Amino acid sequence: MQLILLAILFIFLTIAIYSVMTLVYVKYHNPFLIPILTTTIALIIVLLLFNVPYETYMIGGKWIDKLLGPAIVALAIPLYKQRKLLKQYLYPILGGVTAGIIIGMVSGIFFAKILGFSKEIVLSILPKSITTPIAMQISDQLGGIPSLATVFVIIAGLVGVIFVQPFFNFSRIDSAIGRGIGLGVAAHALGTSKAIEYGEQEASMSSVAMTLSAILGSFLGPIIAWFFY
Amino acid sequence: MRFIKQLSQVLILYGFFLVGGWLQSGLHIPLPGSILGLLLLWAALSLKVVSLKWVESGAYLFLSVLPVFFLPATVGVMNYGHVFTGKGFFLIPITIGSTFMTMWIASFVSQAIARRTEKRRAGSKCS
Repeated sequence: MQLILLAILFIFLTIAIYSVMTLVYVKYHNPFLIPILTTTIALIIVLLLFNVPYETYMIGGKWIDKLLGPAIVALAIPLYKQRKLLKQYLYPILGGVTAGIIIGMVSGIFFAKILGFSKEIVLSILPKSITTPIAMQISDQLGGIPSLATVFVIIAGLVGVIFVQPFFNFSRIDSAIGRGIGLGVAAHALGTSKAIEYGEQEASMSSVAMTLSAILGSFLGPIIAWFFY
Repeated sequence: MRFIKQLSQVLILYGFFLVGGWLQSGLHIPLPGSILGLLLLWAALSLKVVSLKWVESGAYLFLSVLPVFFLPATVGVMNYGHVFTGKGFFLIPITIGSTFMTMWIASFVSQAIARRTEKRRAGSKCS
């Protein structure tokens, strides 16, 4: 009985804080206020204040966690709806996504390994440019730490959103295709939210690139990890 | 009524997720079961085995609150704070640098391929 009450309490707490943080983000629209970041910090502060260990929180959290898989399956729908765009720009999209994924994963592993980080950490940094739910599953499958992987994913997304304009100016990326795909591959959902500010074509390019890089990344992740270990 | 419709659509998505999981463990495919489910659903939509109408509103119900589903995992970082102390701090610049490289390569390659195909199309029109 007590366990059920605890579970309900933590589920309710998670949803309540997320709802409030979403309202805050809608109001101020600053990339540092993305709900996933602010809700995570707020939840951790609450748990620490009341001396609740993570394992206790997960009595409720695991029920939310169970819905992550089917939620990932749902990503097939936006990808299917963009099929015309995908067909029309098949080679630029596939080329950009593949090159980006490979360079992203290899460079992350390479630097982390050179600095002597443990295998667990290296395998958590590997999927950093992939959208959170799938990055977690990739790192988990390879033997990394999913919770840690999400931190790198969020950092990558913030970098994409905050520095993208000077980056585009400096690197002379001026086409809708180049901009959309760069944002989607390197900065996943956060990048896609930024791409919406550039225009409709950038936004749809970015969302296609994000989903494709998640799919391709789950194929390439194990192969690239195998080369290094 | 709308709720029942969305709920049954969510169950269809859950079905694809379960089948993906079975395939993964049964055939030892090194891909997450959820990604296999995504690919299966995508194939089923493309082959018109599943109609978009059967899953669309359920899918958007999920996607509109997607971050909620990974909050339990992100909160887990509270057990890993020590990773970022001392030498671990360097993980942050590594992530930033690697993200710039990813963005540059992805944008550059896609832009270059797109320009080349555009040129070829324009060229074939002239001749």
